This record gives sequence, structure tokens and C-alpha cells, in this order.
Amino acid sequence: MTRTRVALTADGRVELDGDVVRARRLPDEHGRTRVALVASQALLLAGDRVRIEVEVAAGRSLEIVEVTGTVAYDMRGGQATWLVDVRLAAGAVLVWPSLPFVVADGADVLRLTHVELAAGARAVLRETLVLGRTGETGGRVRTTVRARLDDRPLLVETFVAEPAAVVDPALLGGSRCLDTVLVLGARLEHPCALQLDGEGTMLRGMSVHAHDADLGDVLAAAVGVVAPVPLPAPRPAGDALLPAADPFPPPAASWDETATRPG
Amino acid sequence: MLADARLPTGAHAHSAGLEPAVLAGLLSPTPPPAARERSGHPGPGSIALSRPGGGGGEVTPGGVGRRRGEDVGRIPVLAATRLRTVTATEAGAAVVARHLWLDRRDLAPVEDAWAARTPSPAVRDAARRLGRGYLRLALTLWPDELAGAFAPGAAPPRPVVAGAIGAVTGLDALQVALLVGYDDVQTIASAALKLTPLDPATTTRWVLDLHPAVVAMARSVTHLTDPDDIPSAGAPMTDAWAQAHARTTRRLFHG
Repeated sequence: MTRTRVALTADGRVELDGDVVRARRLPDEHGRTRVALVASQALLLAGDRVRIEVEVAAGRSLEIVEVTGTVAYDMRGGQATWLVDVRLAAGAVLVWPSLPFVVADGADVLRLTHVELAAGARAVLRETLVLGRTGETGGRVRTTVRARLDDRPLLVETFVAEPAAVVDPALLGGSRCLDTVLVLGARLEHPCALQLDGEGTMLRGMSVHAHDADLGDVLAAAVGVVAPVPLPAPRPAGDALLPAADPFPPPAASWDETATRPG
Repeated sequence: MLADARLPTGAHAHSAGLEPAVLAGLLSPTPPPAARERSGHPGPGSIALSRPGGGGGEVTPGGVGRRRGEDVGRIPVLAATRLRTVTATEAGAAVVARHLWLDRRDLAPVEDAWAARTPSPAVRDAARRLGRGYLRLALTLWPDELAGAFAPGAAPPRPVVAGAIGAVTGLDALQVALLVGYDDVQTIASAALKLTPLDPATTTRWVLDLHPAVVAMARSVTHLTDPDDIPSAGAPMTDAWAQAHARTTRRLFHG
């Protein structure tokens, strides 16, 4: 089990901990504390158990910047887990636009995302699942998002992305990419949004090619409804998501440290 | 009897997601929905309801549109996928509601759990509309047994009402889950007859063939007692279809 912890305390201090997935502080922007997540070795392999804990104190705003996407490699019968545990105190804000999670042939991954929002807390999260690198049909990822707002269930959604789901018209309908933007604790008005029963909105894009499903434009609007100042600009649309020649997208922000992910 | 289409609950006005799927091109021969280049993109006007290209004509409610080449075999496939996803959620909610109401405990956590697992407002609206019909009937038939189960004016979804009915009528958990599963399959089968020209024997065959899948789904949820454990597997395209369907006026069914 590798554990990474990012905590933003009530007095504005940032507590960072982690070995395989390292957390590095970035300059603040728009009143948000920013922290980058950097993988320091090859991820995700059979037997890997990644756990990322994020905690934001009351009234504080945190943005998490991923420097690279993640590829889950062939696990040859093994399995890996990717657990995310988010706790937001009253009025806290989290912006975490994750980069694509690519599930290569033979990969088998369990992803669990738990988000606990106190009253008035808000979050924007993104999950982009891509089945297969170029020329692959992809492995399997079972992902569950479980969000609670003010001690009541807000969203519980499980999806098993695998080749069988791609060909099922009711599941992915031919898409091998499922892009999801979640707004929790606030609503984003959009013609194609799924407005949750509680205070929250889900937006989904599906397409054959990852970049077609890009919700980058929606993301900026989503950040706008949870944070006082929106993101400077949506990250480069196609490039960041293109799974073609380079499965590892370029840095999404002004982070100049070389990505350490091995190919 | 609870799954009988003639029960006065308004269930005949629902298609268990079949009409939204058909309107979105489920049955169109080429290209099948599985081969569309793009779907579900949230840009205005380019939602998942994109019409299938080529082939001419549209599948219209009432089945007066294109007949030739329709792949009606996708209808039972849709029903099977629903059993593994959204219908398992409904059945799980019904089983837990039954369990709680046996002890006359609060059903609100079941409704909350169900709502959190049902991201599409169109799907939630349809389930609540059906729940209202069930509840009206149930309160007339078993007013004492159901006293206090639902606040006046509440709009509980059908599975929660079905579970409470199960508790007061002596159904066991498996029977309640089978009821929900069978009802979904049968709703699709009878709606199919209104949406596309079919021999009723064909849809009866589908229901028979789906029986093992209904039983498997039901068995997988009968042990549930905690709202947190209700299955949560979603079907992304059906949500998109349901939302698009809710916005159109060219429809026979509520959902």
C-alpha cells in the first residue's frame, strides 16, 4: 500500500506526505492552494495499492494538479487498486481535474473514490477512463464513486469499464472513453447535465476517441460554480487526452519539473 | 398480481427505458449505436440522442416508422443489461425497504440511497410517478399496515413502495426482488409491442428466456438489509437516453 496525503489546514498550512505518488506544492493561484501529484515510479502495476487522502479544512480552497495521466498496465491475472479518500470540512472547496486513466490490455483495476462533504463544501472532480492504448481493446476497471453531503448520500455510482461494456449499446454504446465531471455541493446548469437529487451535477462524455469526449469546456464552467475564480483556461483539449502516439499527456499546468513517469 | 399490467397504477404508461432507447436509435440496423462516432458529448445539440446516420426514415413511437432491418434482438439485450445495472438497484432498494418496514422503521434512508444511485432526473421522475400510482393503490388496500410509512404528499419511488407492500403482504425478500425484476422485463416486452411491429409470442419468448437473469439478479440482492449496500451499477447511455426522451414531446410513454 502506498499512501499519499494532502491536507490543507485551517491556518492555511499544507501537509504533504507520499512516496510513490508524491505531492508537491505549487504557487497559489486565484486564492487556491495548489498541489501537484507526481508519480515517482511506474504505475499502475499488478499488486499496486495506491491510496490518496485529501483533506481540506473549513473555508479553505485546494486545487490538485495532476502532472501526467495514469496507465494501468497488463497485470497478467493480478489486480491493482486506486483509492481516493476526500474529506471537505464546512465551506471547503476542492478542484481536482484528474487526467486520463488509461486501462491497457490485461489490466484489472478497482477504483474507489469516497468524498465526504460537510455542509457548504463544494468539489469539482473529473474521471476520464480510457479503455486501451492505441490498437488495444483495453482491460477492466471497476470504478465506484461514493459521495456524501452533510451526512446524506449524494451520489453512489459504479461502473465497470471493459470491452464488453463498449459494445453494449446501453452502457458505452461503442465508446471506449468515459469522461465524467462531477460537481458536488453545487449545481452546474447545462443542457446535458444530470442533476442529482441532492446538490450536485454529473456530466458525462462518451466517444470512440478520447479527445471527442473531452469535457474541458464544461470543466472550466464547473470550477466557476464552486470557486470564486475560475480556472485560468481549460487545459488543451485534444492534446491532453490524445491516447495516440504519446499516451502520457503533457503537463497540464505551469509545472516545469520533468514528468518522471517512465514509458 | 403486483406485476400485472392491469393493476391500476399507471404502469402501462411506462416502457422501462425502452422508448428512450428506441428513439435514440437502439434498433437501427446500420450503423448500430455501438458504432457511432460520437455520443453523449454535452455540447448543445449534440447529445447522445444523435440519430443514426443513413438508412432513411426514423423509428417513431407507435412503430409506424422503419420496420425493415430493425434489430429487435437488441430489446432483450437491453433488458438483460438493465437487470445487471439499474434494475438491480431498484430491486435492492425494494428488498431493503421491505426489511425496514417489517420493523416499521424509517424508509427515508432507502429513498436517499436509491436517489443517490439514480443520477438521471428523468429516471427518478418516472420512478416517482410510478411510485405514486402504487402508493395510492396500496394506501387504499392496506391503510393500517402502511400507516406512517410515507409522509403525506411524499413521492417515494416505486421500488420503495413495492418493498413496503411486500412487507405488509407477506412477501419474502426473494419474491420482492423477483417482482421488481420481472416487472422491468415485462414492461419492456409489452412496450416493445407498441413501439415496433412484433408478434406477442416473440416478446413472451424474451420474457421466458430472461427468467434465469431475473432470478440471478434477485438472488444477488435478497440478503440486503442496509441502504448503503444497495447495488449502484449504472448504465451511462440509458441515462443520456432518458434525459433526451424527457425533453421530447414525440413519445408514447413517460419513461
